[in-house]
Amino acid sequence: MIERRDEELSHIYREAEGPRPPQRVDDNILAASQRVAGTVRRPAVFAFSRRWGAPVAIAATVLVTSTVALMVHERQSGVDTAAPGVPRAGRAAKVSPAAPVRTDQPAKSPSTEPRAGPSQKSPPAEPRSAAPVTPSPKAAAPLDRAKPATVETALSGERRATGQPARLPAIPPGVEILRKTDEPKPAPAAAAPAAAGERARATQQAPVPDAVRTFDVQPLIRPAQAPASAPAPGANTLRESASTLQGAGAVGALTSSVAVPDAKERTPEKWLADIRKLKTEGKAIEAERDLVEFKKRYPDYILPEDLR
Amino acid sequence: MSDLASVLPVPPYAPSVQDRGPREALHLRRMRIEASDEELMLRYGRGDARAFELLYRRYRLPLYRFMLRQVGNAATAEELFQDLWMRVVNSRGRYEARAKFASWVYAIAHNRLMDFYRGNGRASFLSHEESESVLEDLPAAEISADLRLDRKRAAERLVAALGELPDAQREAFLLQQEGEMSIEEIAAATGVGPETAKSRLRYAVAKLRASLGKES
Repeated sequence: MIERRDEELSHIYREAEGPRPPQRVDDNILAASQRVAGTVRRPAVFAFSRRWGAPVAIAATVLVTSTVALMVHERQSGVDTAAPGVPRAGRAAKVSPAAPVRTDQPAKSPSTEPRAGPSQKSPPAEPRSAAPVTPSPKAAAPLDRAKPATVETALSGERRATGQPARLPAIPPGVEILRKTDEPKPAPAAAAPAAAGERARATQQAPVPDAVRTFDVQPLIRPAQAPASAPAPGANTLRESASTLQGAGAVGALTSSVAVPDAKERTPEKWLADIRKLKTEGKAIEAERDLVEFKKRYPDYILPEDLR
Repeated sequence: MSDLASVLPVPPYAPSVQDRGPREALHLRRMRIEASDEELMLRYGRGDARAFELLYRRYRLPLYRFMLRQVGNAATAEELFQDLWMRVVNSRGRYEARAKFASWVYAIAHNRLMDFYRGNGRASFLSHEESESVLEDLPAAEISADLRLDRKRAAERLVAALGELPDAQREAFLLQQEGEMSIEEIAAATGVGPETAKSRLRYAVAKLRASLGKES
């Protein structure tokens, strides 16, 4: 059924002013429609977060992951480098006795090499939770002024970890290792080849207070004081560690990469022995001059009684 | 409907296309050009709120005018108008594109009006027989020459005369003018036969022309 529309009437009707619904009615209806549809239009902040949220989240994830990976890698390398001398509660059980000491680490990163040194001088029996010490040169600077940076960082890190006083900074670890390899080994029992066995033994030692430990370490840096006497337990541990390193071939690597430049110099012990020799030969002036030079070179070194 | 929507101004509440993001603006442009009312309603049923927004923009003014002219009171018209759209919103999942969206939505409007009339004790809808008998006696009036020239005054006179029409006849006229519906669509929306819808419409038109033919 087709009914022709009265166009004239329609035109007149269109001329009438068209009322409009109020704004609030529009808002109510549209809000309800969006609410029901579950797509409420979010403000600009949400739009921004929706647009950039995923990239930012991905970037944050990558950043955190890489940081954690870097930390784990650093920690791992630090543990490996310090493995021979750092006794830790869990290490003896984790590392199999036949596991060889990694010798490639010193060649890879010279900055981590000296960590083997300080680990020798401490006879810790208590397990340390602070596993890898990542020393910062800034923190180590006031303590170790006269030593090469690599040694400083390792020593300062060790100091921070153990809380011991700065007693040994004057001895470069590489040199110490060399010295110990040259020396006749006073504790044959400590020459066990397996590093894990050594670590386990070190772990089983009775806990020693820090104060006592300090005294235990002193003979190590004063070889002239008691050269023939039986070494202290701490010294035993250090020598054992040195021999362990030697047995595992780590000393060779250390010697080739770090200790070689230092080995050209006199060791402090050798130097002191020379000074004593000059004294005994009656060359007091030369001996005094040598001693002054020694003090300049090793300001933190505690001199034996006879040379003070 | 689409012709009327293109003639009507864009409502002030609606943000311009330029104010939106490029993707959303493109989506809205494409919907406005391509999508039919039925498609928009189906999209809204699937959760596309922008489709409803566009649909609302198309039908907002004619439906509001339809309601306002029917009840004659702005507050009541707003309430009914809002309730009508709430019914549309709540029916989004049940909508099927069997008929034109305009017929469907005006049928909802009609039902809402019936509820309102019943609730207010207002039952002035003419019966079929009554409208037929009245229709027989209507003269074909001409619009006066003065009102032909003064369109604004003619429009005011027309709106006033529209308010005096019986509800059913006014509804038929408004459905034709605002909803751009045919006799069949008016009949379907109001739930009467086509003949009834036709007679109501003819009666409304005759009465309105007669009101414009008289000099006041």
